[in-house]
This record gives sequence, structure tokens and C-alpha cells, in this order.
Amino acid sequence: MIELRKVRKNFGQVKAVDELSLSTKEGGIFGILGPNGAGKSTTIKMIMNILKPDSGSILFNGRPLRESDKDRIGYLPEERGLYRKVKIDEMLLYLASLKNTDRFTALKRLDLWLDRFDLKEWKTSTPEALSKGMAQKVQFIATVLHDPEFLFLDEPFSGLDPVSVDSLREAILELESRGKTILFSTHNMEVAERICSRLLVIDHGREVISGSLSDIKARYGRNTVAVEFDGSIDFGSLSGMVSNLSRFPRWVELELAEGASPQALLKLLVGQVAIRRFEVVAPSLHDIFVKLVGG
Amino acid sequence: MEFRLTVANTAFIVLTILGPFLIAAVAVLPGILSASGGAMGGAPTKIALLGADPQFAREIAPALRPSGVEVSSVPGSPESLDAQVLAGTFDGYLALPSDLSRIDKLEYVSRNAADFRVMGLLQSVIGPAIVARRLVAAGVPASQVASLARSPSFEERRLSRSGKTKDSNFVAVLMTGLTLSMLIYMTVLLYGQAIGRSVLAEKTSKTVEIMLSSVRPMDLLFGKILGKSMASLLQYGIWVTISAAAMKLFGPRLGLDVGAGLSSGMLAYLVLFFVLAFFLYCSVYAALGASAQDEQQLGQFAWPLIAFLAIPLVMISPILMAPRSPLAVALSFFPLTAPIVMFLRISVGAARGWEILLSVALTVAAAIGIIRLSAKIFKVGILMTGKRFRLREVLLLARYD
Repeated sequence: MIELRKVRKNFGQVKAVDELSLSTKEGGIFGILGPNGAGKSTTIKMIMNILKPDSGSILFNGRPLRESDKDRIGYLPEERGLYRKVKIDEMLLYLASLKNTDRFTALKRLDLWLDRFDLKEWKTSTPEALSKGMAQKVQFIATVLHDPEFLFLDEPFSGLDPVSVDSLREAILELESRGKTILFSTHNMEVAERICSRLLVIDHGREVISGSLSDIKARYGRNTVAVEFDGSIDFGSLSGMVSNLSRFPRWVELELAEGASPQALLKLLVGQVAIRRFEVVAPSLHDIFVKLVGG
Repeated sequence: MEFRLTVANTAFIVLTILGPFLIAAVAVLPGILSASGGAMGGAPTKIALLGADPQFAREIAPALRPSGVEVSSVPGSPESLDAQVLAGTFDGYLALPSDLSRIDKLEYVSRNAADFRVMGLLQSVIGPAIVARRLVAAGVPASQVASLARSPSFEERRLSRSGKTKDSNFVAVLMTGLTLSMLIYMTVLLYGQAIGRSVLAEKTSKTVEIMLSSVRPMDLLFGKILGKSMASLLQYGIWVTISAAAMKLFGPRLGLDVGAGLSSGMLAYLVLFFVLAFFLYCSVYAALGASAQDEQQLGQFAWPLIAFLAIPLVMISPILMAPRSPLAVALSFFPLTAPIVMFLRISVGAARGWEILLSVALTVAAAIGIIRLSAKIFKVGILMTGKRFRLREVLLLARYD
């Protein structure tokens, strides 16, 4: 379990992380979301003890991170890098040995993982021969080969094609089901929405919102209505009920104003257009994110 | 990993195999050159003795012939000989008066003024021959001339603290000192750069964060330096062994005296100070690699370091002549120059036991200190990739990180 208490980190004049607090439960997938430069990577680096916070404390299972704890953590840094001249299997086994995993166990796991990511034929080539996406998958294997209890993944999905995103997402979900605690950062809301159980949205180093995905959706949800229709809506007549609207060619998303009910809106619309679909929807994480962080 | 990577490198293998030949070439070629003389297997140098007694020419000819110089007595005038030298019939001539015992000055005329070797040879052969003639002219029996004209030879014996006396040989000490300096100089150029680059590559290939999630920066750097140095020491070991074997085989044939004046004690010091200097310079290079942004910058950073290597190299003779001078003592404690200078001082017996210990301790402390510093720079450097920064900034950050 990881706990951050009022952590602060400045780089010169820039406040990278400002009084950030968070705590993860054991097990589950915790997402740190935020736009570029929000302080996600800095936060993860501080948890990994690669950077030192200016103030505040970071606790790992209730105490500061020790050198020996690093064997129980798998870290995928945002800056990807592999030794360019070393064969992939050799390098991965070496990295696992640094985490005190015995060679035999590591070798067995290596084959499984390479198989899973379709990298078996690349086993004895060097990273120079790999595409960017393949290299990233190799790097992910490096993160999990020592079977850590904790996974800290910094932007694990960036730069991957949709098929690779799916296989990586499945791998992460499977690791979660095996009881691992996973903390990852992303600005990809779609993926976050599909795998996070809890999340923290940060912007300019500050917490914007945190909690479980369902809580957050509940807090921001049930006030958006999607309407598909034929005809034209007189949007002026809706001004009292709708606070915000997104127009698409055949449908609109309407955000209800404070105190307005979907029923009242429906009555109003029935008189104006032929309604094909009327749905009260929870807003997507994307919408919440854009709204909170200011699109 | 570093060790395996380095050793598996093709260039490393090629260098390891070629190294001894290069070293042998460097060590043996001057020997061959000087042994075969300036003649280098070419035609002998022909020198005319103008107006000399043919008997005198016959007397000195045997002493000159092995060095490729032929003399012959020639009648004529200086003008006619000038023409013959210019025409190439002779390489040069000496004008000798008929009464050889009265000569004060001799003039050697040749086309190339810088023929020092021939000049020296003529001096050492003709000089004593003329002195001998004077002695005979003064009534000394010819049989005693040789023993009377011989000057005594000088030998040196040094007292050491243990009471035993040792033979010392300035040239041997000078050569050993030079060897050590050159060895360290070459190694630093070869491997120091490599370590700097390797540390730099860790940053540029972005592997550093993965490594730091497993090991401490200090361990990472120590590992790098150890790996690279083991690889290079292995290479050196192979070189030295092959070279030593080659020297044993071919040295006597070429008339070379290899390793003269190097006792086993000095050999131990040689190895000790070589290893010390090696680690110190490697750690400095690691620090430079950690601060540099690219190879070009690394090269710029490395120049002052090479200057420190050059100091003992150019100061070898002053240090050997005044090994207890304040400057020599100071240099033997200053870590970057200590290994070479202290070794020189020990080899002339001018270092006390505590001085050696202090010098070694300071060098080791400096090496460890520098590795610590580079570990910090390394950690800070991760944040700063992509931006050029000044040394002052690095030190500042290293402190507050």
C-alpha cells in the first residue's frame, strides 16, 4: 500500500507537485490522470525514490521505501530505454537478476510473456531490431518478470497500436486479478475508464478530484442527456434547463442545469422534434476530465 | 554486464590480439633502428681523411667499420675534396695535418650538417687515437698508453634504510617512471573515455531509470567502473603476458635490456599505483560522463583531466633530480598526480613509509569521493537531460537533491 502525504516538489520556480496526497488500497488498479506536465511522472518518480520530495512524506506499507522493497516493485518509466547492444532475453534475465529472481524461474516466466506479446522470435535479437511498440512491450516484460507485488507504470499505453493496447490492458487486468497493486499514469481516458478502480486527477501538480471511478461518475453523472432526433430543436427555449450542450450531426448531449429534471426536458423536446433516442447518461471520464481540467 | 558487453565487443577482441604487436613494435623498433645504426642497412658512410698518414687511417678503420663508417686516406686539397663531397664520392671529410699530436681542432665537412651520429663516432674514435699519439710522442711506452689514457668508470650505490645497499640506475628509474606514466596515459585515453561514454549512454539510452528502480546510483556506477576496468585489466594482462614473453624470446637477440632495474618490490608498487590511478581516473571520467549531455561535451570536459596526466609526464626529470622538493612532495599527495609522482619518489628512495600510505589513502578517498559525487550528478542529471547545464549548477543540485 502506498500513501502520499502533502507531497511537494518544485523545480526552480515551477511547482511540479503541490501538496498532493493519495493512498492506494492493497490490490486494484489506481490511475493517476492528468494532462501533459501535470506532475504525474514526477509523482511516480518520487514514489520510486528516484526523486526526493521537497516536503511531505511518502509511505510504502506504512514506512518509507527501503532499498530492499525495490525487489517487490516493478517500475515502467516514462522514458523508455533498453541496452541497444544486448540480446533481449539476456537483458531481461539480467534485469530480473537485479531484482533477485533466480534464473530458472525468470527463464520460465520470460517464455510465457514473450509468447503472450508475440515476441518469441525476437528473443535473441537486440533492441535495435525492434519497432517502438515491440520495444515497449519488451520493457513491460522487464517490469513484470520478477513478479512484483506492486507495479508502477508511467504512461504504459502511449505509442502502442490498438491491438497492443488491448493485449497490454488484458495483461494488466490479469495481474490485478492475481492480487497485484497497480498504479499507473495516463492521459488516455478511454483506457483509464476501462481498467481503473480508483483514480486521482491532477493538474498543475494539484489534486482535482480523487476517489473510485463509480463515485466520481456519480458525482458528475446523471445530469447529462443524449438525444437523437429528426427535425430541429429551438435551443433558445432550453436555456433555463440546460447549462451546456455538445452538438453532433444527428444528436446532442445536453447537460442539465441545477434543479432541472430529465422528464421536464423530455416534455419540452417532444413538442419540437421527433425523438429517436432519449438517454440519461453518465458522463465519460473524458468529459469529466476535460471539464475539470478545462478543455 | 558491463564486463561481458565490453569483452564481447569485436573491437575489444581485435585490439587485444593486435595490442601486443603494436606494443612490441613501439618497444622494439627504436631498438632495431639504433642497433642497426643510421645506416639502416643502407650503404656505409664514406669519409675521406685529407692529408692523413695512411697508417693512421688503417689504425682507426676497424673501430669505425662496425658502425657503418668507412675511412680512407686521400691526398689532395680541401677544394678538390669539397667537390668530391658535393659530387657524392664521399659523405664527408676530415682535414688532418701531418703532425697529428699537435692538433687542437678538427673540422668535419659534410653535406648534411646534422649528422650527429657520425660526428660522435669520429670524436670517440679519433680523439683517443690522437691522445695516444701524443703520449707516444712524449715518450710513454706504447704498451702503457691504453691503460694510462683510460678514465675510471663511475658506478652508483644507494643506501636504503634496511641497511642493505642497492644498485640504482637513473636511466632505469626514468624508464620505469615513463613506462608507468605512458601506461596510465594510454589506459585513460582508451578506457576512461569508454567509461565516460558508457555512463553517458545510460542517460541517453534512457536505461538509467530502470536501473535505478533496482539498484542505487552508487552501485550502478561502481558496477560500471568495475566491469569496464576488469575488462581492461584482462586486456592489459594479456598484453603484458604476451609482450613479456615476446621480449624474453626476442629481447636478447636484439640486445635490449627489458625491465632492467625493476625489483619485485618496485613491480608491486608499479601495479599498486597503476591500479590506483586507473580507478581514480575512471571515476573522474564516470563523473564527467554523468554531467555531459553528449559525446562532444564529454570530450570538452576531458581536456583538463588529460592536462593533469601530462604534468607528471613532463616533470619526470625534475622530480627525479629533486624528489624531496616541496613541489614534488605536494604533487605526490595531490590525487590526480599522486600515483605517478609517488611512484617516481619511491623508485629513487625518497619517500617515507607514512608518505606512501598517506598518498595511497588520499587517492583512494578521492576516487570514492568522486564516485559518490558522480552518483549524485547522475541522479540529478536524469532530470536535466536535454538541457545544457553548467558545472556550478550541477554541484548545487547535487547538494540539495
